[in-house]
Amino acid sequence: MVRLRQILFTYLLVTILLVTACTSQPPSRFDQAQQDSTSRGATAVVKESESGGSFNRYFPEPDSGYQRVYTQEKKGFAEAKLKQAGKEIAVMAISDTINNPSAVNKFKNSTETIAGYPAVNQGSNATAILVKDRFQVKVLSRDPSFTESDRKALLSQFDLNGLSQLN
Amino acid sequence: MSKPIFELVDNLPTNNITVMMLKSLDFLVPGQWQNLVGFENTIREVTGETDEEMIQQIGDRAIWLYNDKSQGYQKAMWLYQTVDSADSALGTAALANKVGDKIPLVGGLLSKVTPNPDKAQALDLCIKLVVELVAFCQINGIPGDSIGDFVTSLADYSGESLMRMAALVCVDGLIPLGPDFILKAQSTLDNTSPGELGSNSTFKQVQDLIPGSDTSSQLSFIGESFDSVKGWMANFVADRNLTPQTIFGKFQGFLDFSEDKLDYVAAFLDMTTNYYEHTGTQTLARCLIERAIAEI
Repeated sequence: MVRLRQILFTYLLVTILLVTACTSQPPSRFDQAQQDSTSRGATAVVKESESGGSFNRYFPEPDSGYQRVYTQEKKGFAEAKLKQAGKEIAVMAISDTINNPSAVNKFKNSTETIAGYPAVNQGSNATAILVKDRFQVKVLSRDPSFTESDRKALLSQFDLNGLSQLN
Repeated sequence: MSKPIFELVDNLPTNNITVMMLKSLDFLVPGQWQNLVGFENTIREVTGETDEEMIQQIGDRAIWLYNDKSQGYQKAMWLYQTVDSADSALGTAALANKVGDKIPLVGGLLSKVTPNPDKAQALDLCIKLVVELVAFCQINGIPGDSIGDFVTSLADYSGESLMRMAALVCVDGLIPLGPDFILKAQSTLDNTSPGELGSNSTFKQVQDLIPGSDTSSQLSFIGESFDSVKGWMANFVADRNLTPQTIFGKFQGFLDFSEDKLDYVAAFLDMTTNYYEHTGTQTLARCLIERAIAEI
């Protein structure tokens, strides 16, 4: 009886190994995020966050020769593209960091300010400021001609005073 | 549970019939579509970032956003996946029969392919168009029935989204229905009852996500959507002097078929490609990554 049980157990183990070996994906550096974000009660956006639509009015009016095209408007997030002669040269976004609190950490060591708000460069193409310790305003270059100083100039053109008085 | 977004993007094929077909349509929207495959690769391409820590943060945030059902991304993915009904076994068999770079549309392969009647094909075209509109709103966050916003954004479509629309015009419009496909689709819609729409197999699959409280109001919504997008489609065709012959010529780069079997080309592609799902996955990955990099 014990022997039969051993045989059955071995058979089961081999079957499980074979089945999982055939169906599972190789491990990924994103497995942890997948697991955390699908656990019970996990949300990427909290209900207390500002609506994306409430951010639209603080985006700068484009200078002549440029077009501003709004592209995404989700809870806690609004995005617009800046185009020149139909070509995308930068992306502008406002987000509510209440949905992703770790985003504010990078501003703690900030040594620069834009219009009085802490500013940081992030990666090779992005510059961001933090308004009211909560709203992140970010400009990303999408063309090499749009430089860091262009990003900073564009950030200062947002209605930051208005945004700081939101809610 | 649905598959992780990074797996869906990692598993996009690099060379199947869908990819061959889309590549053959590159001349319609030159340079707009590269078959961008792989989640990390897409992050690097969309953001231009090379810093590993940043790529990790962007990917992680994109995954969180996708998995939050309230954000609509999974609904959009479901729509893109569901409106395509590719028969992967037939596609695999066709690829196995390849002679050189071409798939011969002959013999046993043809016997498995049945051209759609015009009416079913015209409805498919209209339903796919509405699926694009609803998926667009789910992804970009505009209220679900905003036809006007969609039409404005259509003018700004680029990349894989523009390629998807180009393929729609060709593969679900011009090729199966002919040069007057817009008129045919319009008159089909005018002569379709809610009952007929309700029994259309494509409609039945996506019905739950089409705006409208019953089939009758959903039919009106489909009609209004088609009406507002037909001008864009007509211009797309006119600007390029597109005819079915032009497209058949391009398809001959990867398909071998005789002139008397043109009817079967559309049916074959309908059954063996999933260009909505393929380019839809790419569109979604791009939007998620764009939002993620702005939020981290």
